Amino acid sequence: MWENRCKIAVSGVGYSKVSRAADVPLAAHALEAVKGAIEDSGLEMSDIDGLSTYPELPATGHAEVDGISVVSVNCMMAMLKLPSLTWHMQVGNNNIGGAVQTAAAALLAGLCKHVVVWRAMHNPKGTYQNLPGAQAMGPAQFTGPYGFGGPGQHMAVAYTRYLERNNQSRDKMVTLALAQRKHTQHNPHAFFHGTPLSREDYFNSRMVAYPFCLFDCDIPVQGAVAIVMTTAERARDLKPKPAYLASYGQRLHFEVAGRIGSLANYMEGGASSAKLTWERSGFSPKDVDVAQIYDGFSASVIYGLESYGFCKEGEALDYIQDGRIELDGELPLNTFGGSLGTGRIHGLWHIIEGALQASGRAGSRQVKDANVSFVGASAPIVTGTTFIFTREPY
Amino acid sequence: MSDWSTVTRPIPVPTEWTKPFWDAAKRKSLELQRCQACGHFQHPPYATCTKCVSVDLKFEPVRGGGTIYAYTIMYHTGDKRFAPAVPYASIIVELDAAPGALLAGNLLGVPHTEAKVGRRVEVIFETLNDEITLPQFRLAALQPAE
Repeated sequence: MWENRCKIAVSGVGYSKVSRAADVPLAAHALEAVKGAIEDSGLEMSDIDGLSTYPELPATGHAEVDGISVVSVNCMMAMLKLPSLTWHMQVGNNNIGGAVQTAAAALLAGLCKHVVVWRAMHNPKGTYQNLPGAQAMGPAQFTGPYGFGGPGQHMAVAYTRYLERNNQSRDKMVTLALAQRKHTQHNPHAFFHGTPLSREDYFNSRMVAYPFCLFDCDIPVQGAVAIVMTTAERARDLKPKPAYLASYGQRLHFEVAGRIGSLANYMEGGASSAKLTWERSGFSPKDVDVAQIYDGFSASVIYGLESYGFCKEGEALDYIQDGRIELDGELPLNTFGGSLGTGRIHGLWHIIEGALQASGRAGSRQVKDANVSFVGASAPIVTGTTFIFTREPY
Repeated sequence: MSDWSTVTRPIPVPTEWTKPFWDAAKRKSLELQRCQACGHFQHPPYATCTKCVSVDLKFEPVRGGGTIYAYTIMYHTGDKRFAPAVPYASIIVELDAAPGALLAGNLLGVPHTEAKVGRRVEVIFETLNDEITLPQFRLAALQPAE
């Protein structure tokens, strides 16, 4: 087991308004979320001495403009002018989960005392995932000419392989979409709060890239979320009950850039991250009381459930049936609605919910006796990171 | 069946490392990167052999028969250039001669509903301009029993 288990905690969460088309620049949303998280923790702005984010815009073919379409650490530093700042980090490859893990490491190393981690997401005007322009360069020279643009299409090909090799039906995914939208109704910050989804809505929705229909894809939005992280010792003196970080892991497998259609890339990515997380915490999937698994596209949840070890390979579409993933089920899943409910803000919201459930702060969607709270914070193929939060240190 | 006649595809831009692939396609031949140390074929091209990490890689001709490894049916018309062809099948092919190497293509000449994992396909070539010819796929005459 990891000697640093439960030495770090999440002690505050914050949200901006989430909308399809924003009336303020993204930096204003990030600021709203960051201020909210600090207020939730009971700290003052002057207590914050660490900043961490993953800023990239996953939309293709759009310019990145700091403060407008991304919010970098530089942008946040310029806005906050923190008097006590001692540490900051902006990560790339490991996605937002990596920003959280790096912040934990900085806190353990004593480089800072209270870190804010944020994720701000822009929804550019026009098509989100563009094909290459007139020319297809780099890895896209082998995919763009055939119509492959964004990650949804790349994930769709792996999904047909998954379905047809395992004799599974995409129709079973409706259970996930409906359960998550039901959970969304308990999350007032979510984009689809107040908008129910029916079985008919799912099956009548337009196909985007078969097997993905509209409701298998998270909706692009503009908004931001943030958390305050500190050491467990300091967290005990703060306003909210801490969520203890028992362990984390990261993907240790990657196939060649531009390789498309490989299911092994997801499965080995997810399994490698989860293995670290189980070993460091001493827990196994059967110990988990509530799980958040990244769902930018619905199939990511299926690959997550299998590669993290919650069920056998090829069986996740059956595993999610019969109420198992409801709030009172055996494994309540994406209890905040997931990205399919909140809109595309990436995995920091999954981490927030994992922490809220562990600390008993999830309100009307609180899962009873949520002592061990699991998070898969990003699609295992791209940037897989996994976390466990616990109610009590052990 | 998808109408490709008015679709303008993005034109591949070869690099120093991918040029042999496109030069071969222009000659209507399929050539993939092969490790000269262990014999492993790979695609897309990479700096090292993905099996043995050798840097001794050369492009060698391969036969164009294989199976559909995975596919998607594209419906989204965000990029208007492809709108006339939707819905169309974009497929990933594993060649018999190069297990593990995965090539993207469109399934041409049949309705998109013919795309299924495991179906047999063979390479054909679609000329885009004087410089670039695109490997594409059609269903093979002989199919496995389903």
